[in-house]
Amino acid sequence: MKTPIAQPTPPPAASVSEFIATFAVILVAIAGLLLFDTALATADTSARKALATREFVLGERLIAQGKIEEGVERFRAASTLDGENSAYGVALAQATLADGRPRAAEQMLLPLLERDPANGTANLAMGRVLSREGRNDEAKSYYHSAIYGLWPPGAEARRTEARFELIDLLARTNSKQELLAELLPIQDDSTNDAAQRKRIAHLFVVAGAPMRAVAIYREVLRRDSRDADAYVGLADAALSLGDFATARTDLLAAQKLTPADSTTLKARLILTDSVVELDPTQVGLSLPEQVRRSRNLLQLTHASVRKCLGTQAPQVAAALDSAANMQLVSAARVGQAQSIEQNISLAEQLWGLRRSRCAPDRKDGALALIHNRIAQ
Amino acid sequence: MRAIRIPALPQRLRRAVEDLRRKEDRLSLLLSLVIGALVGLVVVAFILLTGRLTTIMYASVGSGWQRILVPTLGSLITGYLLYKYFPLARGSGIQQTRAALFIHDGRISLRSVVGKFVTTTISLASGIPLGREGPAVYMGSGLASVIAHRLGLSRLQIRSLVPVGGAAAFAAAFNTPIAAVLFSLQAIVGDLHAPILGSAVLASATSWVVLHLVLGDNPLFHVPAFHLVSLAELGVYVVLGIVGGLSSVAYVKLLLWLRAAFTKLPRASLWIQPVAGGLTVGIFGYFVPQVLGVGYDQVERVLNGDVVLKAVIILAALKIITSSVAYASGNAGGVLGPSLVIGSMVGAAVGSVAHMLFPASTAGPGAYALVGMGAAFAGTIRMPLTSVIMVFEITRDYRVIAPLLISNLIAFYISQKLQKEPIYDALAHQDGLHLPTRPSGALPGIRRVSTAIREAPGSLSPETTVGEVAERVTDSKFESWPVADELGLVGMVRTRHIAAAVKQGREDMTIARLMQIARRSDGERSVDMPHVHNDQPLSRALARMRDNGHKVLPVVSRANARIMLGVVTLADILEEYGVERADQLDYRDHPDI
Repeated sequence: MKTPIAQPTPPPAASVSEFIATFAVILVAIAGLLLFDTALATADTSARKALATREFVLGERLIAQGKIEEGVERFRAASTLDGENSAYGVALAQATLADGRPRAAEQMLLPLLERDPANGTANLAMGRVLSREGRNDEAKSYYHSAIYGLWPPGAEARRTEARFELIDLLARTNSKQELLAELLPIQDDSTNDAAQRKRIAHLFVVAGAPMRAVAIYREVLRRDSRDADAYVGLADAALSLGDFATARTDLLAAQKLTPADSTTLKARLILTDSVVELDPTQVGLSLPEQVRRSRNLLQLTHASVRKCLGTQAPQVAAALDSAANMQLVSAARVGQAQSIEQNISLAEQLWGLRRSRCAPDRKDGALALIHNRIAQ
Repeated sequence: MRAIRIPALPQRLRRAVEDLRRKEDRLSLLLSLVIGALVGLVVVAFILLTGRLTTIMYASVGSGWQRILVPTLGSLITGYLLYKYFPLARGSGIQQTRAALFIHDGRISLRSVVGKFVTTTISLASGIPLGREGPAVYMGSGLASVIAHRLGLSRLQIRSLVPVGGAAAFAAAFNTPIAAVLFSLQAIVGDLHAPILGSAVLASATSWVVLHLVLGDNPLFHVPAFHLVSLAELGVYVVLGIVGGLSSVAYVKLLLWLRAAFTKLPRASLWIQPVAGGLTVGIFGYFVPQVLGVGYDQVERVLNGDVVLKAVIILAALKIITSSVAYASGNAGGVLGPSLVIGSMVGAAVGSVAHMLFPASTAGPGAYALVGMGAAFAGTIRMPLTSVIMVFEITRDYRVIAPLLISNLIAFYISQKLQKEPIYDALAHQDGLHLPTRPSGALPGIRRVSTAIREAPGSLSPETTVGEVAERVTDSKFESWPVADELGLVGMVRTRHIAAAVKQGREDMTIARLMQIARRSDGERSVDMPHVHNDQPLSRALARMRDNGHKVLPVVSRANARIMLGVVTLADILEEYGVERADQLDYRDHPDI
């Protein structure tokens, strides 16, 4: 016969009172643990926050000292300790960007922006990162989000900072329409000081709205008639408008106010003088003088184009040579008024070609200003 | 330990309680809620205390010596505590939980739970690079067991509540309630269709709610949105699956090899062995501080794309080494956490290279780190489905599923090919535990070995000669005999082999030698010690008889395979199935049986 194997005895069943008592103990333990955990979590959170703040401050100090790598580590520690504070995450991303790792900075900002898409600081940082990476269209979008995003109380200046960074980006990328659109809302902002207003005015010149710049500079000068920078700005606006004589007058006024700081002013004056001497459209010139200047303009424009295209497209450059020579020869045979028109027209066309094919050259500043005026 | 007694109760309350106890399903639901809440709170306390202690121990990170000293001292303290007071709290906790479930009827003592809590807290806080999930599962299962025992529940109820506690603990430790249920069913019970599913879900959800109540809605990792940039990127995920699988195999093999080496050291050195792990971690930590701790902060970094290729490769290699040494030397902590860290580093490395080569058609390395985590989990723990759900719960993003499935299955396949035994089974085997891979008890209507077991007919000593036992053995019709020495069962010897030896005049040959020769002649059919366990299905016993050619198999303890509980015979099995074969196998008349 099969001998059965003894099975282990089951645990004794508890009586009802034992059952209830055990249950009561468990419930008390739960309540006690809940209190304990909550207290522990509160203490832990405040300790971590305090430690995070310390790390963050230390990080800021290190960054200020130029110790970027060490700063990054401090910000990282702060961000790990207090993940809820997006300021730490943004600071970490910005320091990482400063450390030359825009990709990593971008990856750090993405989750922050996913959690809080309206975060002004994070959007501004992302705008900077993408701008550094040359992804300008995306950067513009983040700058916009920063401008219209949420900022902590007392950080309104950062919103303006974001707008100016966007404006700088637009100026850099020569997006004149967008630049103008960004400048218009802040044109009459009374909170802007004189320096900022002059900056806005300058950007209006860049955006191709020099008249608005003139109005701002004049207002600045009304408040302080000894502001040399405002005169220089006015001169720039005048140059942009093609009013070279006024530009010269403004530059001379600026020179009188700051005779010591004459290097940049001198350069501007030289530029203005050469423009004044070269401009064939200037009012009050005799016909022969206009002819001479138009020929001169054509020759200079041709030389500039030749210089640029000579290496790029030698055949085109040779064709241009013959075209320019033919024009100069034929101009001698036609009437003076007609030759002025023809010279200027050909110079304009050549300049258009130059602009489409070649990078701007500082040495051609005078030519650019004259062609700009002619185009107006 | 006896339950607490209280004075007389109102009759209505008494009746209500009696009613509740009678209706097992209601009681089970109530206990799932209670266990979920309690376990959740305990695990939260565990997480918070570990974090707090870490902050205290590493208050000033500046000193390199501190990075050597703290893990060394931590491992010394835990080593002593484990040796002296909490021997059952050693290791990850998963195989101990399974042992408790399948060997000790779900019994885990409160002392072990407390020991696990204390030693793991010290160990992890001191910078030992092991995980908190395994120990948390043990604590959760342990608490469920303690509660069930104190409430005087039946053995079956206790057994069913153990994995429920485990699920609750995993949910709180990992913040992934669905994966917690799957993990508990797969890793502890070994059966995704276990009837405890409902209770596990309830406990897991309760625990998760408690976690959020106390710690807020903070995911374990902050992960940016996942993007599959192009379909061609799936090819890179195939590569990631391969690399992830190989890394998992390297981690598991190194860990098991080192652990086998440590188990050969004298038992007296058990208390000091963890120091080897602590010191190794400290020395590496001196040069690379990121080695210290499980490394979830590093995972967060790489998940968010902060990846330096060289650094992640070095860190992956160092994590494999330090985690393996730390675990193998006996420090308290789990193997799951490190596998995730290793996977994320490997993923980040693969992703970095891919992004460098194909920047336009691949996502950043963070996405690969995320999938790498899943691949390493699938490769190490061998639970690809749980891994997919876990990563999905971390990201909460459906788009991750396809690449994750690809990488996970490849890693799982490679791991299965190169490392036959899953890590928890291998660890249990190193501890001498033979735990079931799929419990028969979970399947209704299955006839188990326990129903056909009978007392062993006595055993032969391996040192006795064939001549000494020949008469006793050959006179019986019992065709296989257990052979046992003073430490227990060593194997089975066939009656016909003894008879053949006698016929060849080899009466002086020892039984041990005969077994050796028989094993060689049996070739591939031979298994060192064919056996079955009490809870295995009779079909398993039949299959084992077919594989080994024995018609009698010893039934051995899961806790120690050398302890023979009885034998199971072919005739008894057939009888259990209602097939009358007794007339053909008349060994039943043998006086020994």
